[in-house]
Amino acid sequence: MLVALVLLLEAATRTGWIDRNQMVAPSEILAHVAAIIPSTHFVTDLTRTSVTILAAFALGVLGGVPLGVLLWRVRVIGRVLEPFIVTGYAMPTLLFYPILVAVLGLNAGPIIVIASTMALIPIALTTMVALGDVKPVLHKLARSVDASRRQQYFKVLFPAATPLIFPGIKLGFIYAVIGTIAMEFILASKGLGFRAGFMYRELYVADMWAYIAIVVVFSIAVNSALGLAERVIRRDML
Amino acid sequence: MTTTQVESKNVSFDGIGMTFDSDTGRTEAVRNVTASIAEGQFVSVIGPSGCGKSTLLDMACGLLVPSHGRVTIDGEIVTGPRKDTAMVFQEDSTLHWRSVLDNVAFGLEIKHVDKDERLEKARAMIELVGLKGFEKHRPGQLSGGMRQRVAIARALATDPRILLMDEPFGALDQQTRQFIGRELLKIWEQTHNRVLFVTHDIQEAIYLSDQIWVMSARPSVVREVIDVGLPRPRPSGTHAMARFKELEDHLWSIIKEEAAKTLGHGTDAT
Repeated sequence: MLVALVLLLEAATRTGWIDRNQMVAPSEILAHVAAIIPSTHFVTDLTRTSVTILAAFALGVLGGVPLGVLLWRVRVIGRVLEPFIVTGYAMPTLLFYPILVAVLGLNAGPIIVIASTMALIPIALTTMVALGDVKPVLHKLARSVDASRRQQYFKVLFPAATPLIFPGIKLGFIYAVIGTIAMEFILASKGLGFRAGFMYRELYVADMWAYIAIVVVFSIAVNSALGLAERVIRRDML
Repeated sequence: MTTTQVESKNVSFDGIGMTFDSDTGRTEAVRNVTASIAEGQFVSVIGPSGCGKSTLLDMACGLLVPSHGRVTIDGEIVTGPRKDTAMVFQEDSTLHWRSVLDNVAFGLEIKHVDKDERLEKARAMIELVGLKGFEKHRPGQLSGGMRQRVAIARALATDPRILLMDEPFGALDQQTRQFIGRELLKIWEQTHNRVLFVTHDIQEAIYLSDQIWVMSARPSVVREVIDVGLPRPRPSGTHAMARFKELEDHLWSIIKEEAAKTLGHGTDAT
Protein backbone atom coordinates (compact mmCIF):
# COMPACT_ATOMS: atom_id res chain seq x y z
CA MET A 1 0.00 0.00 0.00
CA LEU A 2 2.86 2.29 0.86
CA VAL A 3 4.45 1.54 -2.48
CA ALA A 4 1.22 2.41 -4.25
CA LEU A 5 1.04 5.70 -2.41
CA VAL A 6 4.60 6.56 -3.34
CA LEU A 7 3.98 5.73 -6.97
CA LEU A 8 0.84 7.82 -6.95
CA LEU A 9 2.77 10.73 -5.57
CA GLU A 10 5.45 10.28 -8.21
CA ALA A 11 2.91 10.41 -10.96
CA ALA A 12 0.97 13.31 -9.49
CA THR A 13 4.01 15.54 -9.12
CA ARG A 14 5.51 14.76 -12.48
CA THR A 15 2.35 15.56 -14.28
CA GLY A 16 2.04 18.83 -12.43
CA TRP A 17 -1.19 17.79 -10.76
CA ILE A 18 0.41 18.75 -7.47
CA ASP A 19 2.10 22.12 -7.41
CA ARG A 20 5.89 21.94 -7.60
CA ASN A 21 6.17 24.59 -4.94
CA GLN A 22 4.63 22.34 -2.31
CA MET A 23 5.53 18.79 -3.12
CA VAL A 24 8.06 17.14 -5.37
CA ALA A 25 8.32 13.67 -6.80
CA PRO A 26 9.60 10.97 -4.43
CA SER A 27 12.36 10.14 -6.86
CA GLU A 28 13.59 13.69 -6.72
CA ILE A 29 13.40 13.67 -2.94
CA LEU A 30 15.47 10.53 -2.92
CA ALA A 31 18.05 12.18 -5.17
CA HIS A 32 18.31 15.12 -2.81
CA VAL A 33 18.63 12.83 0.18
CA ALA A 34 21.45 11.05 -1.55
CA ALA A 35 23.13 14.41 -2.09
CA ILE A 36 22.65 15.58 1.47
CA ILE A 37 23.94 12.59 3.36
CA PRO A 38 27.56 12.69 2.25
CA SER A 39 27.77 16.45 2.78
CA THR A 40 29.89 17.71 5.67
CA HIS A 41 27.21 19.71 7.36
CA PHE A 42 24.92 16.68 7.50
CA VAL A 43 27.04 14.97 10.09
CA THR A 44 27.04 18.10 12.23
CA ASP A 45 23.29 18.48 11.91
CA LEU A 46 22.60 14.83 12.63
CA THR A 47 24.85 14.88 15.64
CA ARG A 48 23.34 18.05 16.95
CA THR A 49 19.78 16.79 16.58
CA SER A 50 20.55 13.32 17.95
CA VAL A 51 22.34 14.70 20.97
CA THR A 52 19.50 17.11 21.65
CA ILE A 53 16.90 14.39 21.35
CA LEU A 54 18.83 11.98 23.54
CA ALA A 55 19.52 14.64 26.16
CA ALA A 56 15.88 15.66 26.22
CA PHE A 57 14.81 12.03 26.46
CA ALA A 58 17.29 11.26 29.23
CA LEU A 59 16.11 14.25 31.25
CA GLY A 60 12.54 13.24 30.60
CA VAL A 61 13.18 9.78 32.02
CA LEU A 62 15.37 10.94 34.92
CA GLY A 63 12.81 13.53 35.88
CA GLY A 64 9.65 11.76 34.83
CA VAL A 65 10.09 8.44 36.62
CA PRO A 66 10.82 9.91 40.07
CA LEU A 67 8.00 12.39 39.58
CA GLY A 68 5.69 9.52 38.70
CA VAL A 69 6.79 7.68 41.82
CA LEU A 70 6.10 10.77 43.92
CA LEU A 71 2.67 11.25 42.37
CA TRP A 72 1.85 7.66 43.09
CA ARG A 73 3.29 7.46 46.58
CA VAL A 74 1.91 10.61 48.02
CA ARG A 75 -1.55 10.17 46.75
CA VAL A 76 -2.64 13.52 48.01
CA ILE A 77 -0.04 15.26 45.90
CA GLY A 78 -0.95 13.08 42.98
CA ARG A 79 -4.61 13.94 43.14
CA VAL A 80 -3.94 17.62 43.54
CA LEU A 81 -1.19 17.93 40.94
CA GLU A 82 -2.49 15.66 38.23
CA PRO A 83 -4.93 18.10 36.66
CA PHE A 84 -2.22 20.75 36.63
CA ILE A 85 0.24 18.45 35.00
CA VAL A 86 -2.17 17.30 32.36
CA THR A 87 -3.16 20.89 31.65
CA GLY A 88 0.43 22.08 31.62
CA TYR A 89 1.08 19.38 29.12
CA ALA A 90 -1.28 20.99 26.71
CA MET A 91 0.37 24.33 27.19
CA PRO A 92 2.84 25.41 24.56
CA THR A 93 5.96 25.29 26.71
CA LEU A 94 7.93 26.68 23.84
CA LEU A 95 6.70 30.07 24.95
CA PHE A 96 9.30 29.86 27.67
CA TYR A 97 12.02 29.86 25.07
CA PRO A 98 13.04 33.52 25.46
CA ILE A 99 13.53 33.09 29.22
CA LEU A 100 15.54 29.96 28.68
CA VAL A 101 17.76 31.66 26.12
CA ALA A 102 18.42 34.42 28.62
CA VAL A 103 19.45 31.82 31.17
CA LEU A 104 21.16 29.18 29.08
CA GLY A 105 22.32 31.03 26.03
CA LEU A 106 21.64 30.70 22.36
CA ASN A 107 22.47 27.01 22.01
CA ALA A 108 20.86 23.62 22.26
CA GLY A 109 20.18 24.16 25.98
CA PRO A 110 16.76 25.82 25.75
CA ILE A 111 15.63 23.28 23.18
CA ILE A 112 16.72 20.40 25.39
CA VAL A 113 14.85 21.88 28.33
CA ILE A 114 11.64 22.40 26.42
CA ALA A 115 11.73 19.05 24.66
CA SER A 116 12.47 17.32 27.95
CA THR A 117 9.39 18.80 29.60
CA MET A 118 7.37 17.43 26.73
CA ALA A 119 8.89 14.00 27.29
CA LEU A 120 8.71 14.14 31.07
CA ILE A 121 5.00 14.45 31.46
CA PRO A 122 3.79 11.29 29.72
CA ILE A 123 6.58 9.36 31.43
CA ALA A 124 5.57 10.66 34.85
CA LEU A 125 1.88 9.99 34.34
CA THR A 126 2.49 6.52 32.95
CA THR A 127 4.81 5.66 35.81
CA MET A 128 2.22 6.81 38.29
CA VAL A 129 -0.51 4.71 36.73
CA ALA A 130 1.75 1.69 36.24
CA LEU A 131 2.80 1.61 39.87
CA GLY A 132 -0.81 1.88 40.93
CA ASP A 133 -1.58 -1.09 38.74
CA VAL A 134 0.86 -3.47 40.39
CA LYS A 135 -0.98 -6.32 42.10
CA PRO A 136 -1.60 -5.44 45.77
CA VAL A 137 -0.29 -8.84 46.83
CA LEU A 138 3.15 -7.89 45.53
CA HIS A 139 3.15 -4.73 47.64
CA LYS A 140 2.21 -6.89 50.58
CA LEU A 141 4.90 -9.42 49.79
CA ALA A 142 7.58 -6.76 49.58
CA ARG A 143 6.58 -5.33 52.94
CA SER A 144 6.13 -8.70 54.61
CA VAL A 145 9.72 -9.77 53.92
CA ASP A 146 10.83 -6.54 55.58
CA ALA A 147 12.47 -5.26 52.43
CA SER A 148 13.96 -1.79 52.61
CA ARG A 149 12.26 0.95 50.62
CA ARG A 150 14.93 0.68 47.99
CA GLN A 151 14.60 -3.08 47.77
CA GLN A 152 10.85 -2.79 47.48
CA TYR A 153 11.12 -0.45 44.54
CA PHE A 154 13.94 -2.05 42.62
CA LYS A 155 13.30 -5.71 43.31
CA VAL A 156 9.53 -5.77 43.20
CA LEU A 157 7.62 -2.65 42.23
CA PHE A 158 9.58 -1.40 39.22
CA PRO A 159 10.03 -4.82 37.64
CA ALA A 160 6.35 -5.49 38.14
CA ALA A 161 5.40 -2.13 36.66
CA THR A 162 7.89 -2.12 33.77
CA PRO A 163 5.63 -3.65 31.12
CA LEU A 164 3.26 -0.76 31.73
CA ILE A 165 5.89 1.93 32.17
CA PHE A 166 7.60 1.13 28.92
CA PRO A 167 4.87 2.43 26.58
CA GLY A 168 5.08 5.70 28.48
CA ILE A 169 8.79 5.81 27.89
CA LYS A 170 8.30 5.19 24.20
CA LEU A 171 5.81 8.00 24.11
CA GLY A 172 8.24 10.20 25.99
CA PHE A 173 10.83 9.53 23.36
CA ILE A 174 8.46 10.40 20.56
CA TYR A 175 7.71 13.70 22.24
CA ALA A 176 11.40 14.36 22.70
CA VAL A 177 11.77 13.95 18.94
CA ILE A 178 8.77 16.10 18.12
CA GLY A 179 9.82 18.78 20.57
CA THR A 180 13.36 18.89 19.29
CA ILE A 181 12.53 18.96 15.60
CA ALA A 182 9.77 21.53 16.05
CA MET A 183 11.98 23.81 18.11
CA GLU A 184 14.85 23.44 15.70
CA PHE A 185 12.54 24.21 12.84
CA ILE A 186 11.47 27.48 14.35
CA LEU A 187 14.34 28.69 16.44
CA ALA A 188 17.64 26.91 15.94
CA SER A 189 20.67 27.52 13.81
CA LYS A 190 21.84 23.93 13.57
CA GLY A 191 20.36 20.48 13.38
CA LEU A 192 18.06 18.56 11.08
CA GLY A 193 14.98 20.48 12.12
CA PHE A 194 16.75 23.72 11.42
CA ARG A 195 17.75 22.55 7.93
CA ALA A 196 14.19 21.56 7.17
CA GLY A 197 13.03 24.97 8.32
CA PHE A 198 15.74 26.76 6.41
CA MET A 199 14.87 24.93 3.21
CA TYR A 200 11.24 25.73 3.80
CA ARG A 201 11.88 29.41 4.23
CA GLU A 202 14.20 29.55 1.23
CA LEU A 203 11.65 27.65 -0.86
CA TYR A 204 14.03 24.77 -1.57
CA VAL A 205 11.10 22.43 -1.60
CA ALA A 206 12.91 19.30 -2.65
CA ASP A 207 15.58 19.75 0.00
CA MET A 208 12.96 20.45 2.62
CA TRP A 209 11.19 17.21 1.87
CA ALA A 210 14.53 15.46 1.77
CA TYR A 211 15.23 16.57 5.34
CA ILE A 212 11.75 15.65 6.43
CA ALA A 213 12.28 12.21 4.95
CA ILE A 214 15.55 11.85 6.85
CA VAL A 215 13.91 12.83 10.13
CA VAL A 216 11.06 10.39 9.51
CA VAL A 217 13.44 7.53 8.79
CA PHE A 218 15.48 8.41 11.87
CA SER A 219 12.38 8.41 14.06
CA ILE A 220 11.11 5.15 12.67
CA ALA A 221 14.50 3.55 13.23
CA VAL A 222 14.72 4.58 16.86
CA ASN A 223 11.11 3.76 17.54
CA SER A 224 11.62 0.30 16.10
CA ALA A 225 14.63 -0.16 18.34
CA LEU A 226 12.50 0.82 21.33
CA GLY A 227 9.77 -1.53 20.17
CA LEU A 228 12.29 -4.33 19.99
CA ALA A 229 13.51 -3.51 23.49
CA GLU A 230 9.93 -3.56 24.69
CA ARG A 231 9.31 -7.00 23.22
CA VAL A 232 12.44 -8.34 24.86
CA ILE A 233 11.40 -6.85 28.18
CA ARG A 234 7.87 -8.19 27.89
CA ARG A 235 9.16 -11.62 27.12
CA ASP A 236 11.41 -11.55 30.14
CA MET A 237 9.00 -9.95 32.48
CA LEU A 238 5.65 -11.45 31.81
CA MET B 1 -2.40 -8.21 82.90
CA THR B 2 -0.54 -11.21 81.64
CA THR B 3 2.36 -12.50 83.67
CA THR B 4 5.58 -12.17 81.77
CA GLN B 5 6.37 -15.24 79.75
CA VAL B 6 10.07 -14.63 79.76
CA GLU B 7 11.50 -17.80 78.34
CA SER B 8 8.39 -19.01 76.58
CA LYS B 9 8.86 -20.05 73.01
CA ASN B 10 5.47 -18.94 71.91
CA VAL B 11 3.92 -16.76 69.33
CA SER B 12 1.36 -14.99 71.45
CA PHE B 13 -1.57 -12.77 70.82
CA ASP B 14 -2.21 -10.87 74.06
CA GLY B 15 -5.51 -9.08 74.29
CA ILE B 16 -5.42 -8.21 70.62
CA GLY B 17 -7.94 -5.82 69.20
CA MET B 18 -8.14 -4.14 65.85
CA THR B 19 -10.32 -1.30 64.74
CA PHE B 20 -10.22 0.01 61.20
CA ASP B 21 -11.05 3.55 60.21
CA SER B 22 -12.41 4.13 56.79
CA ASP B 23 -14.62 6.52 54.84
CA THR B 24 -17.62 4.54 55.98
CA GLY B 25 -16.73 4.77 59.65
CA ARG B 26 -15.00 2.66 62.23
CA THR B 27 -15.07 -1.09 62.09
CA GLU B 28 -14.03 -3.12 65.07
CA ALA B 29 -12.81 -6.24 63.35
CA VAL B 30 -11.19 -7.93 66.32
CA ARG B 31 -12.23 -7.23 69.87
CA ASN B 32 -10.18 -9.50 72.07
CA VAL B 33 -7.97 -12.36 71.05
CA THR B 34 -5.64 -14.02 73.49
CA ALA B 35 -4.07 -17.22 72.29
CA SER B 36 -0.68 -18.64 71.53
CA ILE B 37 1.13 -21.07 69.31
CA ALA B 38 3.79 -23.30 70.79
CA GLU B 39 6.95 -24.34 68.98
CA GLY B 40 6.38 -26.80 66.22
CA GLN B 41 2.63 -26.44 66.46
CA PHE B 42 0.30 -26.21 63.44
CA VAL B 43 -2.65 -23.98 64.26
CA SER B 44 -5.58 -23.16 62.01
CA VAL B 45 -7.85 -20.19 62.38
CA ILE B 46 -11.36 -20.62 61.13
CA GLY B 47 -14.40 -18.38 61.25
CA PRO B 48 -17.06 -16.53 59.28
CA SER B 49 -16.12 -13.98 56.64
CA GLY B 50 -15.00 -10.66 57.94
CA CYS B 51 -14.08 -11.95 61.39
CA GLY B 52 -10.53 -10.73 61.14
CA LYS B 53 -8.69 -13.98 60.51
CA SER B 54 -6.39 -12.37 57.97
CA THR B 55 -6.00 -9.42 60.31
CA LEU B 56 -4.44 -11.72 62.90
CA LEU B 57 -1.92 -12.89 60.34
CA ASP B 58 -1.13 -9.33 59.29
CA MET B 59 -0.51 -8.44 62.90
CA ALA B 60 1.77 -11.43 63.47
CA CYS B 61 3.65 -10.44 60.34
CA GLY B 62 4.04 -6.86 61.49
CA LEU B 63 2.06 -5.46 58.58
CA LEU B 64 -0.57 -4.11 60.93
CA VAL B 65 -0.18 -2.70 64.39
CA PRO B 66 -2.99 -3.80 66.72
CA SER B 67 -5.26 -1.10 68.09
CA HIS B 68 -4.72 -2.62 71.49
CA GLY B 69 -2.85 -5.58 72.85
CA ARG B 70 0.29 -6.95 71.32
CA VAL B 71 1.79 -9.83 69.45
CA THR B 72 4.98 -11.38 70.74
CA ILE B 73 7.27 -13.84 69.04
CA ASP B 74 9.40 -15.76 71.51
CA GLY B 75 9.11 -12.87 73.92
CA GLU B 76 9.82 -10.08 71.41
CA ILE B 77 7.01 -7.68 70.71
CA VAL B 78 6.14 -7.35 67.05
CA THR B 79 6.32 -3.70 66.03
CA GLY B 80 6.72 -3.93 62.29
CA PRO B 81 7.63 -6.27 59.47
CA ARG B 82 10.30 -8.77 60.40
CA LYS B 83 12.73 -11.02 58.68
CA ASP B 84 11.92 -13.96 60.93
CA THR B 85 8.32 -14.35 59.82
CA ALA B 86 7.17 -15.47 56.42
CA MET B 87 3.78 -15.28 54.79
CA VAL B 88 2.10 -17.21 52.01
CA PHE B 89 -0.80 -15.37 50.39
CA GLN B 90 -3.97 -16.57 48.77
CA GLU B 91 -3.29 -14.75 45.52
CA ASP B 92 -0.37 -15.70 43.37
CA SER B 93 2.60 -13.79 44.74
CA THR B 94 5.33 -15.19 42.57
CA LEU B 95 7.52 -12.68 40.77
CA HIS B 96 6.83 -13.41 37.15
CA TRP B 97 10.03 -11.91 35.82
CA ARG B 98 12.20 -14.20 37.90
CA SER B 99 12.92 -17.88 37.55
CA VAL B 100 11.59 -20.30 40.16
CA LEU B 101 15.06 -20.45 41.68
CA ASP B 102 15.31 -16.69 42.01
CA ASN B 103 11.79 -16.54 43.37
CA VAL B 104 12.57 -18.99 46.12
CA ALA B 105 15.83 -17.19 46.89
CA PHE B 106 14.01 -13.85 47.10
CA GLY B 107 13.60 -13.70 50.89
CA LEU B 108 17.23 -14.63 51.38
CA GLU B 109 18.26 -12.02 48.84
CA ILE B 110 16.43 -9.39 50.87
CA LYS B 111 18.37 -10.56 53.90
CA HIS B 112 21.59 -10.03 51.95
CA VAL B 113 22.56 -13.67 52.18
CA ASP B 114 25.57 -14.51 50.05
CA LYS B 115 24.65 -15.66 46.55
CA ASP B 116 26.02 -19.19 46.60
CA GLU B 117 24.53 -19.85 49.98
CA ARG B 118 21.10 -18.60 49.08
CA LEU B 119 20.92 -20.46 45.79
CA GLU B 120 21.92 -23.65 47.54
CA LYS B 121 19.23 -23.17 50.14
CA ALA B 122 16.74 -22.32 47.42
CA ARG B 123 17.53 -25.52 45.57
CA ALA B 124 17.00 -27.50 48.74
CA MET B 125 13.62 -25.88 49.29
CA ILE B 126 12.61 -26.42 45.69
CA GLU B 127 13.32 -30.10 46.12
CA LEU B 128 11.45 -30.15 49.42
CA VAL B 129 8.28 -28.81 47.85
CA GLY B 130 8.54 -31.28 44.99
CA LEU B 131 9.53 -28.89 42.23
CA LYS B 132 12.95 -30.26 41.47
CA GLY B 133 13.76 -29.76 37.82
CA PHE B 134 11.72 -26.60 37.56
CA GLU B 135 14.41 -24.23 38.84
CA LYS B 136 14.82 -22.39 35.55
CA HIS B 137 11.12 -22.20 34.75
CA ARG B 138 9.14 -19.01 34.93
CA PRO B 139 6.03 -18.83 37.10
CA GLY B 140 4.03 -18.15 33.97
CA GLN B 141 4.85 -21.67 32.85
CA LEU B 142 3.55 -23.26 36.04
CA SER B 143 0.11 -24.20 37.26
CA GLY B 144 -1.57 -22.42 40.16
CA GLY B 145 -0.73 -25.20 42.57
CA MET B 146 2.89 -25.18 41.54
CA ARG B 147 3.10 -21.42 41.98
CA GLN B 148 1.80 -21.75 45.50
CA ARG B 149 4.47 -24.34 46.14
CA VAL B 150 7.03 -21.80 44.95
CA ALA B 151 5.57 -19.33 47.42
CA ILE B 152 5.78 -21.92 50.18
CA ALA B 153 9.37 -22.75 49.26
CA ARG B 154 10.22 -19.07 49.33
CA ALA B 155 8.67 -18.68 52.77
CA LEU B 156 10.44 -21.73 54.17
CA ALA B 157 13.81 -20.74 52.74
CA THR B 158 14.22 -18.02 55.33
CA ASP B 159 13.72 -20.47 58.25
CA PRO B 160 10.97 -18.34 59.73
CA ARG B 161 10.05 -18.59 63.39
CA ILE B 162 6.47 -18.74 62.25
CA LEU B 163 4.94 -19.52 58.89
CA LEU B 164 1.81 -17.49 58.25
CA MET B 165 -0.56 -18.82 55.64
CA ASP B 166 -3.54 -16.80 54.49
CA GLU B 167 -5.93 -19.20 52.80
CA PRO B 168 -3.06 -20.29 50.58
CA PHE B 169 -5.09 -22.88 48.73
CA GLY B 170 -8.26 -20.84 48.45
CA ALA B 171 -7.67 -19.92 44.84
CA LEU B 172 -7.06 -23.51 43.77
CA ASP B 173 -9.61 -26.05 42.66
CA GLN B 174 -10.86 -28.67 45.08
CA GLN B 175 -8.68 -31.53 43.90
CA THR B 176 -5.49 -29.49 43.79
CA ARG B 177 -6.34 -28.16 47.20
CA GLN B 178 -6.54 -31.58 48.79
CA PHE B 179 -3.42 -32.75 47.05
CA ILE B 180 -1.38 -29.76 48.01
CA GLY B 181 -2.71 -29.95 51.58
CA ARG B 182 -1.21 -33.41 51.88
CA GLU B 183 1.99 -32.13 50.30
CA LEU B 184 2.13 -29.33 52.82
CA LEU B 185 1.90 -31.80 55.68
CA LYS B 186 4.68 -33.89 54.20
CA ILE B 187 6.83 -30.79 54.05
CA TRP B 188 5.82 -29.74 57.53
CA GLU B 189 6.68 -33.17 58.96
CA GLN B 190 10.24 -32.39 57.92
CA THR B 191 10.54 -28.75 58.89
CA HIS B 192 8.11 -28.56 61.83
CA ASN B 193 7.74 -24.80 61.61
CA ARG B 194 5.22 -23.08 63.78
CA VAL B 195 2.30 -22.46 61.43
CA LEU B 196 -0.68 -20.16 61.67
CA PHE B 197 -3.04 -21.18 58.90
CA VAL B 198 -6.16 -19.26 57.97
CA THR B 199 -8.85 -21.10 56.10
CA HIS B 200 -12.55 -21.27 55.33
CA ASP B 201 -12.39 -24.98 54.78
CA ILE B 202 -13.35 -26.93 57.88
CA GLN B 203 -12.04 -30.24 56.59
CA GLU B 204 -8.78 -28.65 55.64
CA ALA B 205 -8.41 -27.15 59.09
CA ILE B 206 -9.05 -30.47 60.82
CA TYR B 207 -6.81 -32.43 58.49
CA LEU B 208 -3.83 -30.13 58.72
CA SER B 209 -3.73 -28.82 62.27
CA ASP B 210 -2.87 -29.69 65.84
CA GLN B 211 -5.17 -26.99 67.13
CA ILE B 212 -8.01 -24.93 65.73
CA TRP B 213 -9.03 -21.47 66.87
CA VAL B 214 -12.65 -20.77 66.10
CA MET B 215 -13.37 -17.08 65.70
CA SER B 216 -16.70 -15.50 66.38
CA ALA B 217 -18.37 -13.03 64.08
CA ARG B 218 -17.13 -9.47 64.12
CA PRO B 219 -16.13 -7.90 66.51
CA SER B 220 -14.37 -11.16 67.00
CA VAL B 221 -13.03 -13.09 69.92
CA VAL B 222 -11.70 -16.60 69.98
CA ARG B 223 -14.86 -18.49 70.66
CA GLU B 224 -13.24 -21.86 71.11
CA VAL B 225 -9.82 -23.48 71.01
CA ILE B 226 -10.02 -27.06 69.84
CA ASP B 227 -7.26 -29.64 70.12
CA VAL B 228 -7.61 -31.84 67.10
CA GLY B 229 -6.05 -34.96 68.57
CA LEU B 230 -5.76 -36.98 65.39
CA PRO B 231 -2.71 -39.20 64.86
CA ARG B 232 0.41 -37.87 63.20
CA PRO B 233 1.44 -38.49 60.50
CA ARG B 234 -2.12 -38.46 59.22
CA PRO B 235 -3.10 -41.92 58.01
CA SER B 236 -4.91 -42.32 54.73
CA GLY B 237 -8.30 -42.90 56.32
CA THR B 238 -8.23 -39.75 58.40
CA HIS B 239 -11.31 -38.17 56.85
CA ALA B 240 -13.39 -41.20 57.78
CA MET B 241 -12.34 -41.35 61.42
CA ALA B 242 -14.95 -40.85 64.09
CA ARG B 243 -13.03 -38.04 65.68
CA PHE B 244 -12.75 -36.28 62.34
CA LYS B 245 -16.49 -36.36 61.80
CA GLU B 246 -17.15 -35.32 65.35
CA LEU B 247 -14.95 -32.26 64.89
CA GLU B 248 -16.46 -31.53 61.54
CA ASP B 249 -20.01 -31.53 62.85
CA HIS B 250 -19.06 -29.45 65.84
CA LEU B 251 -17.22 -26.86 63.78
CA TRP B 252 -20.00 -26.72 61.25
CA SER B 253 -22.58 -25.86 63.84
CA ILE B 254 -20.44 -23.12 65.40
CA ILE B 255 -19.56 -21.59 62.06
CA LYS B 256 -23.17 -21.65 60.94
CA GLU B 257 -24.16 -19.87 64.09
CA GLU B 258 -21.49 -17.22 63.73
CA ALA B 259 -22.11 -16.80 60.01
CA ALA B 260 -25.79 -16.22 60.73
CA LYS B 261 -24.84 -13.45 63.11
CA THR B 262 -22.70 -11.88 60.41
CA LEU B 263 -25.47 -11.99 57.85
CA GLY B 264 -28.05 -10.89 60.39
CA HIS B 265 -26.12 -7.81 61.36
CA GLY B 266 -25.34 -6.53 57.91
CA THR B 267 -23.17 -3.51 58.65
CA ASP B 268 -21.58 -3.49 62.03
CA ALA B 269 -23.64 -2.65 65.04
CA THR B 270 -22.05 -2.31 68.48
